[in-house]
Amino acid sequence: MPFNPLEHRGIPLDRQVRSWRELNVEPIDPDHCDPYTRCRVITMNGIEVEAIMFSHQLARHTKDPEVKRQLARTRYVEAQQQKAVNWLLPGVSSVLETTIAYEQVAVDLTAWVARMEPDPYLKQAYQFGVLEDFDHLYRYANLYEMIEHRKAEAIVDGLTEVMPGRPTRLHHRNPVDNVRDPYDRTRTDPLSKLHALTILSAEQQTMNFYMNTGPTYMEPIARQLYQEIGLIEEEHVTHYESLVDPGETWWEQLVNHEYNECYLYYSFMEQESDPKVKALWELHLNMELEHLHIACDLMRRHDNRDPAEVLAPELPNVLTFEPNKGYLRELLATQIDLTTLGAGYVREAHERFEEMQARIHGGEAAPSDRVMDQHQEVFGRQYRLETEGEHPVAALPENQ
Amino acid sequence: MTHTHTPHAGDDNAADTDVVTLLMRQHGDIRNLFDEVEASTGDDRKDAFRRLVRLLAVHETAEEEVVHPFARRAFPGAEEVVDERLAEEHKAKESLAALEDLDTEDPEFLPRLRVLRESVQTHARAEERYEFTHIRRSADTARLASMAKGVKAAEAMAPTRPHPGVESRAANMALGPVAALMDRTKDAVRKAMGKDG
Repeated sequence: MPFNPLEHRGIPLDRQVRSWRELNVEPIDPDHCDPYTRCRVITMNGIEVEAIMFSHQLARHTKDPEVKRQLARTRYVEAQQQKAVNWLLPGVSSVLETTIAYEQVAVDLTAWVARMEPDPYLKQAYQFGVLEDFDHLYRYANLYEMIEHRKAEAIVDGLTEVMPGRPTRLHHRNPVDNVRDPYDRTRTDPLSKLHALTILSAEQQTMNFYMNTGPTYMEPIARQLYQEIGLIEEEHVTHYESLVDPGETWWEQLVNHEYNECYLYYSFMEQESDPKVKALWELHLNMELEHLHIACDLMRRHDNRDPAEVLAPELPNVLTFEPNKGYLRELLATQIDLTTLGAGYVREAHERFEEMQARIHGGEAAPSDRVMDQHQEVFGRQYRLETEGEHPVAALPENQ
Repeated sequence: MTHTHTPHAGDDNAADTDVVTLLMRQHGDIRNLFDEVEASTGDDRKDAFRRLVRLLAVHETAEEEVVHPFARRAFPGAEEVVDERLAEEHKAKESLAALEDLDTEDPEFLPRLRVLRESVQTHARAEERYEFTHIRRSADTARLASMAKGVKAAEAMAPTRPHPGVESRAANMALGPVAALMDRTKDAVRKAMGKDG
């Protein structure tokens, strides 16, 4: 049934602040949960973190103290939402275990968005990026088996394959080649705006997670791998955020944020298998409907525009976590050797790319390659999870 | 689909010169065995459960004999940290005792296994975070290596996986109840650590 968030009112804002008891959520069981429940938790945490940081930036650009106070009220509730969501992750999980779940999110969320994206240029941006997340999952999975003697399949549960993507060492591009062209806010499909905001939030959260948890490891190879992949997340945030039209006003951006939160909580409520988690998605949807309403009022007041002009008339198809194995294999077979040049994509290693590669690797093997060598020494093999047969690329680039 | 087996700590080609690395890998091995017990049925489950109990017994005994005594003297507040770990171990042993006499097909088996699994997992992470980090900080490489040797001696005493072609007399011996196994492991560790400890 079509759902138009603009037509619904949620919980009044002054009834949204929760007590400690209400925030004390019961964590999911890392050994028995639906892997996609964990993916939804990680996604919504990234979305809430973006909501909070966006609101802070907006407040710093706002002169009117009354508006600052209004933003602070909503933002406090968003900060509580972030706590309720992220605290669903269990304390017994290791950082590396959570990292593998983050990469499963990056793979299956980006692949789904690439499949559904109507704009061909934007679709290409997601297709390009997902092959890199796919390789990160493979590298971390090998590190995980080395440090904890656990296989990534105990986390991804056969829903996502674990095997080489575009080799991580080749992700280090000249920063200027990470900047894409933006969509045109006046012409683009409203769904494209939601996709861009969702993926940039997820990648930003991944960047923050790796930059902060990487140094908690003692093993030199682990510390180095987090540094390397953490820097690629910086590239990915640049890549995805540049897709958003910078001509959107602050208020329009605020409305898009709140609308996207409604879309995602609604989507996840529809597909959630864990009843306790489903109840949380439903509660948060009912909070977001009110946040959206408040954001729309601010946009009307400050931009003199009706938010309905920039939003979809109803929510798009629910965003779904599901296996994307066939799609990813097709991309591997056709796009593994791409890199970027300016705002486009090429197959050859151009001069600016080669210069960056020479500088960052300094003539040595990258951590992402050394982790494979060390794994090979310990186990005499690589770790892969190929549920659908051989890897689609017969001759992978060297050092796999 | 690829089926690769992760060998137990000590059976891979890692150098095993750091007791913390070795024990963390053993924590993963234990978690893998819980998965195996839950996923199997019939005789396979019996067998997997027997291996799990053995590994738990060997691992906990080695920690009690090798790691906790060192940790107790290693850093300020260590006594409390180690006592908390021992309390967790005690709780895990109680959960284990509640399982020992149960048939693996008993309807109560899986729920009780779940309780054991949770206490074992909580205990393992607490060790890694509150005890092992201090050991790495305060033990020199020689000490980390000698403690690793003690843990490996415990493993050799009660192999938790069959080693094709190289079965020792000890491995073929009927292992008997857990308590007896722990006693034998203790002796083996003490013997191995004699020179270093």
